[in-house]
Amino acid sequence: MTVREIVKRFTFIEIFKGMALTLKRMFSHAVTIQYPKERRHIAPGFRGQHALAKNQAGQAKCVGCGLCATICPSQCIHISRAKGQVTKYEIDILRCIYCGFCVEACPYGAIALTENYEYSDYRKEDIYMTRDKLLLSWDKYMPGKKGEDYFKKFWRPMSEDFGTPPVQAVFRGKKE
Amino acid sequence: MNISNIIDQQTLDALIKFGINVLIIILKIAVVLGIGLLHVAYATYFERKVIGHMQVRLGPMRVGPHGLLQPIADGLKLFFKEDIIPEKADKPVFYLGPVIFMAAAMVNLSVIPFSSHFVIANINVGLLFIFAMAGMGVYGIFISGWASNSKYAFIGGLRSSAQVISYEIAMGLSLVGVMIMTGSLNLTDIVKAQEESIYGMFAIPQIVGFVVFTIAAVAETNRTPFDMPEAESELVAGYFTEYSGFRFALFFLGEYIAMFIMASMATVCFLGGWTLPWYIKVIPFINYVPGIVWFLMKVYAFIFFYYWIRATVPRYRYDQLMGIGWKILIPVALANILITGLVKILL
Repeated sequence: MTVREIVKRFTFIEIFKGMALTLKRMFSHAVTIQYPKERRHIAPGFRGQHALAKNQAGQAKCVGCGLCATICPSQCIHISRAKGQVTKYEIDILRCIYCGFCVEACPYGAIALTENYEYSDYRKEDIYMTRDKLLLSWDKYMPGKKGEDYFKKFWRPMSEDFGTPPVQAVFRGKKE
Repeated sequence: MNISNIIDQQTLDALIKFGINVLIIILKIAVVLGIGLLHVAYATYFERKVIGHMQVRLGPMRVGPHGLLQPIADGLKLFFKEDIIPEKADKPVFYLGPVIFMAAAMVNLSVIPFSSHFVIANINVGLLFIFAMAGMGVYGIFISGWASNSKYAFIGGLRSSAQVISYEIAMGLSLVGVMIMTGSLNLTDIVKAQEESIYGMFAIPQIVGFVVFTIAAVAETNRTPFDMPEAESELVAGYFTEYSGFRFALFFLGEYIAMFIMASMATVCFLGGWTLPWYIKVIPFINYVPGIVWFLMKVYAFIFFYYWIRATVPRYRYDQLMGIGWKILIPVALANILITGLVKILL
């Protein structure tokens, strides 16, 4: 044992170093966010609960082409059409992994991911999103200008800006 | 009918005197017990806050302003919880365990001198009494570990008895230096001897003993980094795994009161109790502050040290724990006794 080791062992120098650190941290600002009272800042383009986009006239933009259902990796989107109308558009949110492929695939910008993440409930059926609920959440979380800007800023659907991506799966958002 | 016909004046006086003495003692006990229990409630709050801030969190914040009512909410919750007793537990012994543990811790409050005139029982073997009672507390731990009929509780109890027995030796030896310097086992005398000494407190000449005592005190109360008996990552909760509701609360009370006792012991034996060293007394007006303030300040500083260590140091391995106790602390404490004795004889 060298002298250095003996000194280290009998003066507890390393424990005191650690204690100095914890004492210093004690007077630093806590990082806690007291959730219901204060909330974390939501990053732009946050991928939360889904919504079906509406056009200027207040009609659903979705035509029921089924691209979103096709690309969905967890297969949680169920669409059916009858007589040129979308009769069913349902998302099983409990299976969704929020990858955003549906939004990317949609050529019309008809489906969006809103900033809402507080939709826990006691029953499965209450979380299951039907077409009416999806349209309602558009009104609620993407009102007016916000909804219009959302696609332009983050997704740029094919109908507005058709261009083949140079590589596969590219983020089509605009750099600010 | 005159009362003096039945009982003569002298006996009556003696009786009244005795009655008043008993009343004063009962009042003192009530005060100490009440403050002791309140201390436990807010020591948990203090601990959670201190450790929280050291880990860059906030600690309890919801119940009351800054979570001040949290201990009361916790107490209420524990009180109304279901009291579960394992089917195969040894029931009478299972009931007895927490009671022994808490009683052994609380009895010690009676010999701690809080200030120059406030001590419930000023006995001459105060220091020995505290050791004896600390030894009794182990029975509570071990009995509850045995009676729970659970492997975790049993291992916790075994570890605890092994640990407390080995660290009690180191702790006892570390205090022998103080006994030699004072020449008494009476805690009040120990404090007075420190006030009269040129150092003002025994922590300066007995620094080695103080360090050994501090480490042994942490181990003795089963606190991190020596919390092997209740290592939650290995043993669920150690010896009180099977206890719930108010029986669990008794263990909790016992543990926090034991911490208070250890902090008071450090204060009384090494930090000068309710007195101040003469070199601090020179500051004007400082003599008007009552002694109990200094006593509590020292005690809570020591308890803060407990928390501080808990927030910093990870748990020791079991063989390391025993190695520190037997290979380092006991020889160091023995050397300290030798040197203190030699100095006492030669000077």
